[in-house]
Amino acid sequence: MSAARFRATSGRVHLFNLHPAPGSQHTQKRLGRGRSSGLGKTSGRGHKGQKARSGNGKPKAGFEGGQTTISKLFPKRGFVNANGKTYAAINLDKIAHWVEQGRLKSTPEEPITARELVLSGCIHDPHDGVKLLGSGAEQLKVPIHIVPSRASKSAIRAVEQLGGSVFCRYYNRLSLYDCVKGRTDRVAAAPTRREDIMWYTDWRNRGYLSEKSIAKMPVVEERWRELATQLTKFKSQEFEKK
Amino acid sequence: MSSLIRPRQGHNPSDQLAELDPTVFAHPIRRDILHLCVVHFLDSLRQGSANTKTRAEVRGSGRKIRPQKGSGMARLGDGQSPMLVGGGVAFGPKPRDFSTKLPRKVIQMGMRVGLSARVKEHRLRVVESLDWPGFKTKDMAQRLSELGWEKTLFVTGRDAVPVGLSRSSSNLQRVDVTTADALNVYDLVKWPQVVLDVEAVEWMERKLGKRPGEGSTVL
Repeated sequence: MSAARFRATSGRVHLFNLHPAPGSQHTQKRLGRGRSSGLGKTSGRGHKGQKARSGNGKPKAGFEGGQTTISKLFPKRGFVNANGKTYAAINLDKIAHWVEQGRLKSTPEEPITARELVLSGCIHDPHDGVKLLGSGAEQLKVPIHIVPSRASKSAIRAVEQLGGSVFCRYYNRLSLYDCVKGRTDRVAAAPTRREDIMWYTDWRNRGYLSEKSIAKMPVVEERWRELATQLTKFKSQEFEKK
Repeated sequence: MSSLIRPRQGHNPSDQLAELDPTVFAHPIRRDILHLCVVHFLDSLRQGSANTKTRAEVRGSGRKIRPQKGSGMARLGDGQSPMLVGGGVAFGPKPRDFSTKLPRKVIQMGMRVGLSARVKEHRLRVVESLDWPGFKTKDMAQRLSELGWEKTLFVTGRDAVPVGLSRSSSNLQRVDVTTADALNVYDLVKWPQVVLDVEAVEWMERKLGKRPGEGSTVL
């Protein structure tokens, strides 16, 4: 308890009586400046050895002294699918909870999309799209109208039993971004890959390009109607047999 | 309120009152915040032009000065080693930037604390206008001694300082003029007395006052 700590600075504020908050500033560690500093001579490095050398005294990261490293011991396996999609899974129990709290509302004309889910905090990041899953379906009591990227069969069944509607719509990276940001100036792309086309023209998945969906959906773009007829034409086409 | 310009007959400027926002002008005094702001400002002023030559930059050849073995003396390479007289400097200063970063909101708080400190010491004055008529330094010096205003900083809320005031006071050492947007915490702490005009007070309150409904984030 030194008396020097006391500062009688209740006078006027000027350049000569400003001080930093006590404890806010720490003195620098200065190596090699004499014995009393505690960091003289070997400057906190001990004696000799690899760690005492100038430059970077360490071997490269992951080096185990010559022993085969853990990253080299095991063989490589598999490949990474460039076309793979990670969907943001959302279960019916969470949606039920959100609807009960009043954080999510839906009508057939304004269904729940990725945008509503993100804004209400149900989902934090839509990744490559939103997939509706059926865990906790018993907790859903009211009809909801939702348009995800994908939906599981049990989720579709549960929602439709209560009188709601599920239609799965294709979103690529750009159209998902526009959906979440609420931009309507750009045209959302249609699916181009065969797997996607087969999936979204199937009523069992409630794909938006299947005939029944076009008939049932309240808001249908002209493009989709045209696409639905075009993309399913192959089913009735036949090759000329010679 | 006070008045720089000589008031008309029968008109006492002290009859008028200027209402000041307590958030800006009655802020609790935080000397440590002022310290941070002043140190940040002074750092930004540093030229940082100290320079020395390293052993690579000193003029000289790379020839080995004496043989490795046999001379009985220490082994030496080229003549520019920092060990030798006339050699380069090891770890000497190089031109560098000493400016530091300080959060914008800390500087804003510093402004509020600075203004509040001057108000607390009864050294902040508000005038109707700073349009000083005339250009003679002598007249200005006389008026200031009449008012008893020594070491004053005049702050105007306009885009540029009024010509009359700036010309009359430019040669006066104990007086300075600035615009409200060029005002910084260092000036507020340095000058014992600060005189604001009404536009400057409004500018301060607009820039530093609390805005209702601030702080909500929207997607």
